[in-house]
Amino acid sequence: MSTSLEKLFNPASVAIVGATPKEGKVGRAILENFINRFRGRIYPVNPSYSEILGLKCYKSITELPETPDLVVIAIPAPGVPAVLREAAARGVPAAIVISGGFRETGTPEGERLERELEEISRTYGIRIVGPNCIGIYDNWSGVDTYFVSKMKRPPRGYVGFISQSGAFAAALMDWMAYHNLGVSRAISYGNKVDVDDVDLLEYLGEDDKTRVILIYIEGLKPGRGRVFIEVAKKVIKKKPILVYKAGKTSRGSLAAASHTAAMAGEYGVYKAAFKQAGVIEVESFDEMMDAVRIFLHQPLMRGNRVYILTDAGGIGVMLTDALTSIGLEVPRTPSDLREELRKILPPHCIVENPIDLTGDTDDERYMRVLDILVEKPYVDAIVVVALPQVPGIKGTFVDHLVKLKKTYEKPIVALTIGSEASLEVAKRLEENNVTVFESPERLAKALKALYTYSTIKTHGD
Amino acid sequence: MAIKMTPPKEIIKRALSEDRLKLLEHEAFELAKYYEIPVPEVYLVRTPKEAYDLADSVGYPIALKIVSPDIIHKSDVGGVKLHLNSREEVARAVNEMLKTVSLRAPNARIIGVIMYQEARQGIEVIVGGLRDSVFGAAVMFGLGGVFVEVFKDVSFRIAPLSFNDALEMISEIQSKQVLEGYRGQKPVDKKAIADILVKTSKLMLENDEIESIDLNPVMAYDNGAMVVDVRVILRKVPH
Repeated sequence: MSTSLEKLFNPASVAIVGATPKEGKVGRAILENFINRFRGRIYPVNPSYSEILGLKCYKSITELPETPDLVVIAIPAPGVPAVLREAAARGVPAAIVISGGFRETGTPEGERLERELEEISRTYGIRIVGPNCIGIYDNWSGVDTYFVSKMKRPPRGYVGFISQSGAFAAALMDWMAYHNLGVSRAISYGNKVDVDDVDLLEYLGEDDKTRVILIYIEGLKPGRGRVFIEVAKKVIKKKPILVYKAGKTSRGSLAAASHTAAMAGEYGVYKAAFKQAGVIEVESFDEMMDAVRIFLHQPLMRGNRVYILTDAGGIGVMLTDALTSIGLEVPRTPSDLREELRKILPPHCIVENPIDLTGDTDDERYMRVLDILVEKPYVDAIVVVALPQVPGIKGTFVDHLVKLKKTYEKPIVALTIGSEASLEVAKRLEENNVTVFESPERLAKALKALYTYSTIKTHGD
Repeated sequence: MAIKMTPPKEIIKRALSEDRLKLLEHEAFELAKYYEIPVPEVYLVRTPKEAYDLADSVGYPIALKIVSPDIIHKSDVGGVKLHLNSREEVARAVNEMLKTVSLRAPNARIIGVIMYQEARQGIEVIVGGLRDSVFGAAVMFGLGGVFVEVFKDVSFRIAPLSFNDALEMISEIQSKQVLEGYRGQKPVDKKAIADILVKTSKLMLENDEIESIDLNPVMAYDNGAMVVDVRVILRKVPH
């Protein structure tokens, strides 16, 4: 099933219906996107022009010199069914319908047009993304129908994003570009007349370029819930799925029918489904992006025992509270480790977890303790609090930390709070895949997500 | 007469053919019983004499409820009598109930009166089944009374669910401490509740015409559990 989506993402040729040289038009923005990045053949289609931006322009799909793999449609809604039918009849396997003016208008006319698209898809088997969407941003193939020209394009990478909201997809891409987070493919499917969340989840699940899947969802298509659970269960054996469910308030229409139905609302059932599917639910934008960062750069946790290494006692306590209150463990230092640490640390340092190197620490102390911690099989994750405000820290421990992170299959995350010096440390760490947080609570939640997925994955194996 | 085992499909078919989307009390109990959900033995009687003759074998205290497809709020029309402790009391109560109901709801069709032994007090929990437009059959668990009404402290699972899923959803609610036994009480029998959840899931999956079911309340004891009330809402399944 998912291979039938291949041409949406990796077409050898694309026709853009509604391409135009007019500045500020959707058809122009999309054509430019393809000219910039797409390596396949591009055919602008518009009866009013013979050439657009240096490319030969065609009057119709029928006139094209070959049957394109993908047709992008950005013309007013009433004209869409005819174009789609023409494409489907010619054997085009995939289409992205950008145009709005369908079911979302709430008009009988919009409803009718949408049903027509549905019927064409069913009759000819053409796979359709949309209508009323911004479509696909594929960082590897260069398929890019995101007509939002001012959106910065994130670098090539490994986060796959499925979004029910087009505007949010565009904003998130922009944000990820700013934070240098790499994206594989981002899809906003609009009214999902054909291709829906479940199809896309299956596709990204099998996609080698996608290592973390992020889903923003308002609601699945009726009747698709069980398939969603089945597909998700398969995908999480390979990669984590993070989902943000919008629209959590209960559905009023069911209120009267029965007690149980009234209690359910929509969200209760979704929450249960996510849990059963092994999908990680995130409840805020912060949580979503923190989890993305940690999943991209950290190996799985073997258990829930977290060791904290700090130069600030207070932050150690905050972290302990945050970690333990969401179900991670900050165990007491076992006696063997206690003795080892005692041998290398000055007597005023605290060897109990959180291990407190105190305010007079230097880089050397960090490095020596880290060398010991990474070796211990009972240390499932290390949180390094590195407040560079203390005078003894020169920053050499950062390179050491990076080296350890590369060498050992153990999650190592860091917490920094402060101004330029702190941000500098954070930047160096982040660039080398040591995930950095500013907030103990956010760090704890992200680590918990990593742990949750780790247990799900190990149970499945 | 004791209620005989009618297959669920027949109960549902009969109700739908009579245009009833809510099963009658004894039908709902019968359905639950078919799935081996612990419900009291329910008897349908039509006269005080019938009730009098049966009472001793039912066991005390006895509860009575009017059965009518037209009456929604039974207690408002005098259609509920509780804590009856002898066959004389039971016969009198049936007599009085039939009279009061026919006065207060003169046009209601009266099927009869159900009588059953009242379950002893336990920790009240609620088990439900519903049909979601996206996920299909799902089950719900919560504590009864204020916990479900005010705090909406409930958990869900999509059917089918395993026994372990059921145990997990019981431990998922915020107020689970109440089930662990407080003020010297023994913890409740979670396995008995889990068993009801699994059976409810089965019942929902096997009967597509059921829109929702409420087992509310269910008395949970340190050993076993007993359903006190069953309400089943049907839907018309398009063919």
